[in-house]
Amino acid sequence: METESRFRDPSSLFFQSDSIRRYIIASYWVLITLALPLWWTTTSIERLPLPTTEVFAQAQKKLVIPLEICVESAFSDQITSVQRAIHDSASYLNVQLHVSQDCSKYFSGYSIIFGEEISIEDRKLYHPPAGNLADTLTSLLAPKKDHRAAQYSPRYRLSFTLLNEDGSAGQVAESWDIQQAIARHMYPITSALSILHNFTIESQVQYHAPLAFEPQSLSNGTTFGLTPEDLTVFINSAEWTLSSSSSNDPVLHFVLFIPSARHRPLAILNSDGTPSSSSAFLIPQWGGIVILDLPPPPPSTLHLELPDLQTPFLSFSRQLLALLGFPRLPSSIASTSPRASLSPWQVDSLLRQRTHENILRSHDTLRSTVTLASQIDGMPVDAQVQSQVKGSLGALHDLFAYDSKNMTLNEMLAHSARALTLSSKAFFHPGMLAMLYFPAEHKYAVYTPLFASAMIPLLVAALREIASWRKQRREARDADAVQKIDTPKLETDTTRNESVEVNANPQ
Amino acid sequence: MLRTNLFLILLFLSSVICLNNTNEEFEENLTIKSLRDGRVTSSFSFKTLFRDAVPRDPRTLAFDDDESQHYTLFPLSLGQILRQYAITELHLTLNAGKWDYDAWGYPEESDVGVGAELRAWIAGNSTISIDERWEGVRNALAGLFCASLGSLDEQRTTSPHRSFPPEGGLPDWDLPHELRHASHASEHVCTENLTPFLKLLPCKSLSGLAMLLNPHRIFDADWHGIGLHVLWRPEGVEVRLNVQLVSDPLRISAQGKQDWSFHSLFDRKVERACSVAKSSRVCVELPSSGVYRVFPEPQEIRGRNAFYDLKDGSEAWDIGTMWPTDFEYPLSQPNPPLVPFSVRRNLLGATQDRGQLSIVVTNNQQDTLQLLYLETMPWIVQLYLHTIRVHSDDVPRGDLISNISYVLPVPHARPSTFECVLTLPPRSTLTVSMDVAKAFLRYTEHPPDAQRGWDLPPAIFTPLLPSSNGSTAVGSRVYTPSLLVDLATPDFSMPYNVIIFTCSVVAFIFGSVFNVLTRKFVIVRLNSPQNQPKDSREEPVDSKKSTS
Repeated sequence: METESRFRDPSSLFFQSDSIRRYIIASYWVLITLALPLWWTTTSIERLPLPTTEVFAQAQKKLVIPLEICVESAFSDQITSVQRAIHDSASYLNVQLHVSQDCSKYFSGYSIIFGEEISIEDRKLYHPPAGNLADTLTSLLAPKKDHRAAQYSPRYRLSFTLLNEDGSAGQVAESWDIQQAIARHMYPITSALSILHNFTIESQVQYHAPLAFEPQSLSNGTTFGLTPEDLTVFINSAEWTLSSSSSNDPVLHFVLFIPSARHRPLAILNSDGTPSSSSAFLIPQWGGIVILDLPPPPPSTLHLELPDLQTPFLSFSRQLLALLGFPRLPSSIASTSPRASLSPWQVDSLLRQRTHENILRSHDTLRSTVTLASQIDGMPVDAQVQSQVKGSLGALHDLFAYDSKNMTLNEMLAHSARALTLSSKAFFHPGMLAMLYFPAEHKYAVYTPLFASAMIPLLVAALREIASWRKQRREARDADAVQKIDTPKLETDTTRNESVEVNANPQ
Repeated sequence: MLRTNLFLILLFLSSVICLNNTNEEFEENLTIKSLRDGRVTSSFSFKTLFRDAVPRDPRTLAFDDDESQHYTLFPLSLGQILRQYAITELHLTLNAGKWDYDAWGYPEESDVGVGAELRAWIAGNSTISIDERWEGVRNALAGLFCASLGSLDEQRTTSPHRSFPPEGGLPDWDLPHELRHASHASEHVCTENLTPFLKLLPCKSLSGLAMLLNPHRIFDADWHGIGLHVLWRPEGVEVRLNVQLVSDPLRISAQGKQDWSFHSLFDRKVERACSVAKSSRVCVELPSSGVYRVFPEPQEIRGRNAFYDLKDGSEAWDIGTMWPTDFEYPLSQPNPPLVPFSVRRNLLGATQDRGQLSIVVTNNQQDTLQLLYLETMPWIVQLYLHTIRVHSDDVPRGDLISNISYVLPVPHARPSTFECVLTLPPRSTLTVSMDVAKAFLRYTEHPPDAQRGWDLPPAIFTPLLPSSNGSTAVGSRVYTPSLLVDLATPDFSMPYNVIIFTCSVVAFIFGSVFNVLTRKFVIVRLNSPQNQPKDSREEPVDSKKSTS
């Protein structure tokens, strides 16, 4: 065999040994396996886990606010009916009535005391035993929710605007004693409700505020009227710059509208077309409007003084209370408190109502946040969102443990407000948007040309090597049994020749 | 009913005793001037003074509760922004066109740089830093004026306080006041900026001089701009809103006459006076020579100015000037020149990586002139200070440039600020040139219309006037036109081609290397060993094919 001596057997070369080749193939796979997690972390979006189960567990919970009332023994027969009535109208209240001989000593909480007529003083209710105590208490403790009320916010901006419809024709109200008017009519309310909200007050005057529609002239030709349909489009947001959006606090608008000489006097019409006695109307959750007709003396500019503002501001104060959801005192109840409209009964019931609403809203928001995060895979959830959700949950946990922490109603509201603020911050976090610009399809469109062409040879080599290794083992076993070597070797050669075609393709 | 009657009587009484206890005043002013080249410049100024008001002390920003704000004539939406960010002084201008100082002279309002320019004096030492408040006020004004002022970010913000001294006063708070200035030359002023602007006026555009502000005519003018200036003086905070335009009556005139009137310039007349304005004046600057007629008869003529008070009289005002003869275009240069010096600025060089900035300043006066030259370049154009060459009438004069201050640019972050004092000998032309390098931008940094190039902000020249105590006071600023720089722009369709191409190459190399590493060599015998020939040509061929 001359040729054999000229050509070394390739399998005797060190880099042709089976083990080295197998090491090479294995090292490729090891590298790929090690690189995969790295690739995964560098290309994945940050999605921190949200406490989903806790959120759903929390959302199932209902807060029951305890309410202790001392009842004089004269009312003992009405206790069950009272409890049932209150529970039916406000399930979040847990009313406990204690019967006592003399409730006037029971200072800390509510007490119902025998009286000649229905009246309240501080937290005491004077009630004749013959009256319907259940109805009275329900209207005091669980008044119907007013849908005109704006959503709860820890801070409101109150924006007062004096609008002259046309400042160039006829009279124009140039300025007003706004600060004194606010001090007299608004501060009592804002200070009494300061436990619920903070208020920022601003005011402006506008001299040209045209209406977007022509008020209809009434039959006598001298009076103009606003139909209920007109009132819905009264606000001309295109022309009136009522408030800028320099902060995120909700704004309650109070507009004093002075019609132009052409449209004077301007009255609000009832639905049957007759002029209404009121000159004020309220736009739910937006604000209030008062129309102020000026008498027709010769054109001049005028300054609205405090007495002139008396009637409009009384309307504004009523509208403010309605917008803040402040429950009205039932007409049957007389109050002996100095500030008739703001008794502790009402403030407390508003506190409870707002706490209850806040809890419901933060439950909803939290639930929506976690559902959204689980539904949309491409949406990042960063540490801030996570901490806000956790903070909101924490505030709710604290709130539900009010018993052990001896919380007052104010603290409960503060906790619920914190939960609400944090939950809506998380929900409206600018990062909570699905990644639009680098979708998964794009990623694979870029990767496939690279990875597919590299992976196919790798995969085929590995499979073939495994096959040949298994064959070798089998042959080694066979060789132990039958002492023959030549034929299998030829076979392996043919398999290798076949692989030429496979291999040539990608190149 | 009785109560309402009583109320009406009460109201009537109060209206008779008309008290003016307001501490806000509003004045409006219009100056109209015929220019040498037949154009007419109109400058509206609406000034509101809030007496005894002071800018917010930034230290009170730490408190959550702000005192309530009550405005009558002062715009509330602007007042809120100023308070929220505790801004002491603010200037915003949005202009379009090139102000031709040589033909038109100095403008009534000196800020005529093309595009958007915003600058503010802000006091420091607060819980919220100056830069955070600068960013806030930028975004708030962008929202208020519907302008892309948000792009005046730190890549455009400089602090050249020598060229922009405070126009009003700075309150004595023992706090450091800092200037922030940014300009964006490619911002265009349009109707959407004018509409919110008009809403800041107490009479909007429904009465008073603002009735003339017809967007169709303003934005048709050869040069137009709107401006907002807030400054503090010891008597109070002043807001000045101004609109300036240069219209061309010759363009719309059929006879080739330079006659103008409110109606011909604005297509409107002043039909009603603004009732809350303290004064509403129109000043017409009379032509220096020739026969002309100003109508209606001016109420007052002082010097070369005719004055009208629009609060007098109730008929519609249509003020104008008429000439009996056709307009003759002046062929000679104005003599004496309208401005003490004229400036040209150019960016030379054809390549996309290098260029040369050249400034030619001509002193038209018989006296030596000192100018403060300010260049705020975005980092995309880097100045090479060592290449500064100064020539006065083609003679190298390195001594004419002094007091150079330079803030280096930071790529992708900060623009450069170059400030120096140029001394111009009498009746001479000074040429300053320096080499610049143009940056190679990242793929994502290119604007949507990358091929158009980048607008460079105007350079600003401020004459330094020698004053009595030896120091120098600053005169009226002169803005050069903006420059357009052409940067190397990639083919934006390329990235995917590159990705695909790179992938193919990588896959090819990977395949080859992998093949070589794992290939198995075997000897393939073509002939059977029995009839093995002696001929060496028929020896077994070394087959190289193997597994992959």
